[in-house]
Amino acid sequence: MRKVMLLVAWLSMVYTGFAQSARTVTGKVTDDAGKPLAGVTVSAVGMEKNTLSGDDGSFSISVNDKVRSLRFSYVGFADQEVRLGAGNTVSVKLATDSKALSEVVVVGYGTVRKKDLTGSVVSVGGDKVRDLPLQSFDQGLSGRAAGVSITIPNGVVNNPPVIRIRGVNSISLSSFPLVVIDGIPTFSGDVGNGNAANNPLGDINPADIESIDVLKDAAAAAIYGSRASAGVLLITTKRGKQGRAKVNYDAWVGFTRPFNLIPVLDGREYELIKNEGLTNAGTPPNGTTRGFYPYIGPDGRPVSTNWYDVIYRTGVSQNHNINVSGANDKTNYYFSAAYTKQEGMIRQNDFTRLNATMSLDHKVNNRLTIGGKFQYANTNNTGVNSGSTPGGAFATSGIGRLGFNLMPNVPIYLNDGSYNINRVSNTIGQGGNITALQFTNPQVLLDLNTFSSLSERVIGNIYANIKLFDGLSFRTTYGINNLNVVNKAFQNALHGDGVANGGSVFNTIQTYNRWNWTNVLNYNKTFGDHTIAALAGSEQQYTFQEGWGANRQGVTDPFYNEFQGGFNTIVPSGNFLGENYLTSFFGRINYDYKKKYLLSVNGRRDGYSAFSPENKYGNFWGASAGWVISQEKFFENSGLSKIFSNLKLRGSYGVVGNNQGINDFAFWSFFSSGLYGTNPSLFFSQAGNRNLKWETSTKTDIGLEMGFLNGRLNVEATYYINDVNNLILAEPQAPSRGIPGNSILTNVGSMNNKGLELSINASVIQKKDFSWNTNFNITTLRNEVTALAAGNADIQPATSGLERPSMIRVGQSIGSFYAVRTGGVNPANGQRIFYYRDGTAVQYNHAAPVASRWTLVSTGAVAPRVADQANDGVIVGPALPKWTGGWENTFRYKGFDLNMLFFFSGGNYVYNGTKAGLRDMRSWNNSKEALTRWQKAGDQTNIPRIVFGDNISNGSGVVMTENVEKGDFLKLRNITIGYSLPKSVTDRVGINSFRFYAQVMNAFTWTSYTGYDPEISSNGNGNGNPSVDRNSVPQARSFNIGVNVGF
Amino acid sequence: MKLKIFSFVMLAAMAVGCSKEKLEPIPQTALSDAVAFSDSSRSVQQVFGLYSSLKAGQMYAGRYQVYQDVRGEEFINRTNNAVTAWLTWQFNLTASANEVQNLWAAGYAAINRCNVVINGLNTAPINATLKRNLIAEAKVVRATAYFMLMQLYARPYTDGNGTKLGVILKLNPETSSGDNNQARATAAEVYAQIIKDLNEAEADLPATYGGAAANTNRAHRNTAIALKTRVYLNMGQWANVITEGNKLVPTAAPWRAPSGVANELLPNYGTIFTNYTNSEMILSMPFTALDVPGTQNGLGWYYNPGPNGGGEFALNTTAPGIAANTGWRTSDARRNFLVVSGGQTWLSKWPNPNNAADPSPVIRYAEVMLNLAEALARNAAGTSVDARALAILNAVRKRADPTITDFAPADKNALIDLILTERRIELLGEGFRTSDIARTNQTFPAKGPVGAVAPSADQYIWPISIAELLVNKACQQNPGY
Repeated sequence: MRKVMLLVAWLSMVYTGFAQSARTVTGKVTDDAGKPLAGVTVSAVGMEKNTLSGDDGSFSISVNDKVRSLRFSYVGFADQEVRLGAGNTVSVKLATDSKALSEVVVVGYGTVRKKDLTGSVVSVGGDKVRDLPLQSFDQGLSGRAAGVSITIPNGVVNNPPVIRIRGVNSISLSSFPLVVIDGIPTFSGDVGNGNAANNPLGDINPADIESIDVLKDAAAAAIYGSRASAGVLLITTKRGKQGRAKVNYDAWVGFTRPFNLIPVLDGREYELIKNEGLTNAGTPPNGTTRGFYPYIGPDGRPVSTNWYDVIYRTGVSQNHNINVSGANDKTNYYFSAAYTKQEGMIRQNDFTRLNATMSLDHKVNNRLTIGGKFQYANTNNTGVNSGSTPGGAFATSGIGRLGFNLMPNVPIYLNDGSYNINRVSNTIGQGGNITALQFTNPQVLLDLNTFSSLSERVIGNIYANIKLFDGLSFRTTYGINNLNVVNKAFQNALHGDGVANGGSVFNTIQTYNRWNWTNVLNYNKTFGDHTIAALAGSEQQYTFQEGWGANRQGVTDPFYNEFQGGFNTIVPSGNFLGENYLTSFFGRINYDYKKKYLLSVNGRRDGYSAFSPENKYGNFWGASAGWVISQEKFFENSGLSKIFSNLKLRGSYGVVGNNQGINDFAFWSFFSSGLYGTNPSLFFSQAGNRNLKWETSTKTDIGLEMGFLNGRLNVEATYYINDVNNLILAEPQAPSRGIPGNSILTNVGSMNNKGLELSINASVIQKKDFSWNTNFNITTLRNEVTALAAGNADIQPATSGLERPSMIRVGQSIGSFYAVRTGGVNPANGQRIFYYRDGTAVQYNHAAPVASRWTLVSTGAVAPRVADQANDGVIVGPALPKWTGGWENTFRYKGFDLNMLFFFSGGNYVYNGTKAGLRDMRSWNNSKEALTRWQKAGDQTNIPRIVFGDNISNGSGVVMTENVEKGDFLKLRNITIGYSLPKSVTDRVGINSFRFYAQVMNAFTWTSYTGYDPEISSNGNGNGNPSVDRNSVPQARSFNIGVNVGF
Repeated sequence: MKLKIFSFVMLAAMAVGCSKEKLEPIPQTALSDAVAFSDSSRSVQQVFGLYSSLKAGQMYAGRYQVYQDVRGEEFINRTNNAVTAWLTWQFNLTASANEVQNLWAAGYAAINRCNVVINGLNTAPINATLKRNLIAEAKVVRATAYFMLMQLYARPYTDGNGTKLGVILKLNPETSSGDNNQARATAAEVYAQIIKDLNEAEADLPATYGGAAANTNRAHRNTAIALKTRVYLNMGQWANVITEGNKLVPTAAPWRAPSGVANELLPNYGTIFTNYTNSEMILSMPFTALDVPGTQNGLGWYYNPGPNGGGEFALNTTAPGIAANTGWRTSDARRNFLVVSGGQTWLSKWPNPNNAADPSPVIRYAEVMLNLAEALARNAAGTSVDARALAILNAVRKRADPTITDFAPADKNALIDLILTERRIELLGEGFRTSDIARTNQTFPAKGPVGAVAPSADQYIWPISIAELLVNKACQQNPGY
């Protein structure tokens, strides 16, 4: 810090001016339509001199005789250099730059011009996420940027997407990037109650976002120190732009549907298959104690219920956004209000949000600028037990599996109009069936249960910026980010999960309050050929979080479904209390020589409360360099300059940390209070570790930027390595040690992510009436776990606590699958063939006595043991896509525009656990493929002989390769066609612009995956168990039409 | 001017210095290990915490007894739910099955808590008598947990007289990272430790706590003795069962423990399961609305039909299910706990729902009587019928069915069979069936669609948890898994 100041002082002394003027050049700058441009930087090439154009676009600059040309630069327009002739007047038309927003990118605590950048940052304009039928902006980023992988886990509304920047960067902590909104780190995750998903990023109105900048390497991210390991998303919201007040109104309406639902058996097919299973099991249907028989509906015909129709719907959504903004040379303002109401594809699953935003900046005098921003959001999420959020995959009433596993030969309502339910077993009513059924009737759950998560959100900041002296300024910013959540869940006493407690209501209030105070000294100066931008600052952040709530049970009357109604028991629930504090100092110096040689160094020292006093502080840093080869004389003189308009080589290296997701009191060992009957008790609840310290991530990045055809084609290629060390692992302890949770947080593991990023931007065609812009990006990823705890012991993260298809093993990509190999169905006997690890083929016959179900395929003799995951599992991987990317094309013809975003991903495997459920031979319904079952010797099929009760041959009871499938896909994520009214028309009706459009999200998917969709995550953002598909609902497809009007 | 502003900024920057207090917050909702045994109140709470772990959802709240019983022939699974003992019921387990992993973990969580508490109490600044009493209670919990693990994960003691593999023996507190590798002890070693704990507990436990609630919810001297009759019975050491049984069961009615808490055979079978805090319950685990068995854990959840339970297991009303046994007369009070709903017959010893769960019995006086009777019967010379054993058997039976004629077995083996059948009736649903089949080397009978499992079958016992094997390289899996 002090060194930075000294350097700054020294450099300011070095500075001397020496210009001599020989002549004065005047002129006018306009855009290509001839409209004057104010504030354009006009600089004399070859001397340290520049000026700004005035309101009418005119400028005047005195230059010496060495100056041969003038350079004009303005945000949103391409730079232009004009050679000076004999005359002293120059008129310039600046062309709009197609990459207007990427011109300036936001980096930690400041901004930098893209061309001066040496770190790896990718910027996405806010307009890309503005008009999408989504709840949170992050859902709209799939395929938009190299190195940024976004997976929407399924069609549950406001379910947080899985975001990975350059791979998975932690095992037990968070791999979700730090999200910073206007300088204040915000909350992410899911604050809902497990049924109503609630992503706190859904509180942000996407239409308020100016840009989203993603910091990927150490040079860019190390300024965020201990929180930067998984990358940083910087969200910059809109401010007013110079000019008169502008009003924008954006609105859309649309509808949303599930797509690619898997066909299941109808009533008659179901009876056929299940009765055949009973017969094959040696217990044929007998009409008295077992068997599956039709229920005759009111029309006198056997019923065949399509449960998908009960659960899914066509959701109708609407969105309105209005903003007013403007600025003069003193004051800059932006106001917006928004309302969105979105019905999901699952009944009862809705999202409603109200937003209000105010932003004001005022230049008090030449030295002092003050300003602030205030964002309020009121978000209501309602949901159902979807069985599709993390931890819910095996919920008995999870609606995803009810859709395909419920018996189709029983009705929704009995003929007398009452619900078809069995109150003795708390399951779906038997209908005509005799064998016991499982699962619940979703109609009752949808009608009577309610789940909601309501957020009230305030994000605000105030700042003052003081110019101390030339080039040096000080900025202090105080921000708050307060989130209050009310979660409510009512479960009825008649049917489903509420029955056990006689009907219950569970309400909690959760408060997440954060303040952040950041103070930064900034120094920017150009000395001849040397430009320096330095900053030094401090940041403190305090977060307080608490929750309390209660569960009232035993509803006294079916009328009640609110907490304040009549109940006979109350149990405290949902209580937590925590706080954490981060205190930091940081600095950065960017230096360039003639815009040719670029250097950047940054560092940060963080202290964090969750670590023990011995390990509170950590130091993080990053350094980078860039070489703009195209600026070199030799390059300009060579023929290469005719090919390349820009050629830049850059590289960075540094060490960042990770504390995201660590428990507030992680290092403590403690005893918690409980009850033994009515007696208070204490019990050992956490085995702490005082040696716990930050995870560190060493990031290396080498990039090459190439511009061709005068910047019409830009290619950027980057090679990256993230070496994550000191991974904080919930180190698995032998359960026999009896450690609480059977794990202790320890810094033991290491892992790396390596890959290539390639992005290509091209203005393929730029004609007056027709243009075609294309943007392609692809990122490869190779993840490898290199060390784990306890002698590199394997870790098998569970899916919803029950199934463990995923494996974390040294030498493998994290979360690869661990499955028993299968060899199809033996045509001789219809039994599924499994392989022991040594290759011995065994087969399973559920109809045989327990001790002889497993036999050797070779001899038919009883096998020495079962085939199971522990003995016979093999790695099938990776589960993380080897490549992901996007391809966006924008066509404009006169007033028409067409935008298509393709999103692709692949090279990985997906565990299709849902398929196991669809082939389960209990009383569950099956997919249509059950009809192709093995029936007689010689049948070639993939569906074994049906034996009632069999949950091994299908993979419910054993994770098998039959259910691990390739996850490659290509999606037309978004297609939009729009039309803007010509200016002649808009002028006549007195508006600035008017555009209307129609759009389809998830229009097409091309894949060989046999489940709903290979873009899936039953485990949400889980690090160690990605690409698991277990009883989840599918993705949604949305159609909408909208308008953008400017006044 | 410049200087002034600069100084102001520097001052502000210094004021921004970090707050040490905020950097070192103290958790407000838990006690640090440094103060967890600092007085007698906390020490007593620690011991209550041990009972809580003994009656955790996977343990005596219900799952342990359910696993024990549904492996036998008395129940039919109704829900085919792999989360609720269906796999155990049909002997289709693997090392990664949830019950295999969860009970193993819960058992050792209880054991380690005992080890932590015994260690913490040793240095606690509390009265010496209280300290001795509390440590003895911890030993009862530890012994019980080891016994529970041995019933499912290991071959019975009687198979090879303790020479087969038992479970892993842990006696020291584990509170931080350490060596995961430890081999399984032999059954004999584990049983020796169980007996040692119970012997020491018998010496150090109070004779009584004074109140009925504490006398049923906490281990007193008779509890340790009673448990020993169970342990020795499972070891096939009849003489030891008799020695311990004699401390609690007199030679003739009234059937009441002569010293300590006056544990007795209640005159009315029905009251055992209506007022659970009674003198027949030597040890039972209480629940309240604030201290529940947990979702899908309680005995009531498994055996009650809706709405009070999940209707998971109905009674097997066809032979060989005990409910189909015609010798068990309808006039028997124990049949009153069989109720019909939705066409199925259900066990209603714990009729209330999860949030008003009835206590789970751990050991009651009638079992001690039957333990003693069986040992006496087996210990009798030649083929003779032991008169005292017969008297005890008749007393237990006639308590529930007073008008029935006394048993008159022809020989020793007939008497033993009668006692074993009586256990199935008397203790139905209380978690004994697996132990009783295994310790006598019988075959698990077929039921419904599930075939029989002979003692030679690998499925006769559970596999060891995969979670243990993954990190404990010294732990050996059971054969066939």
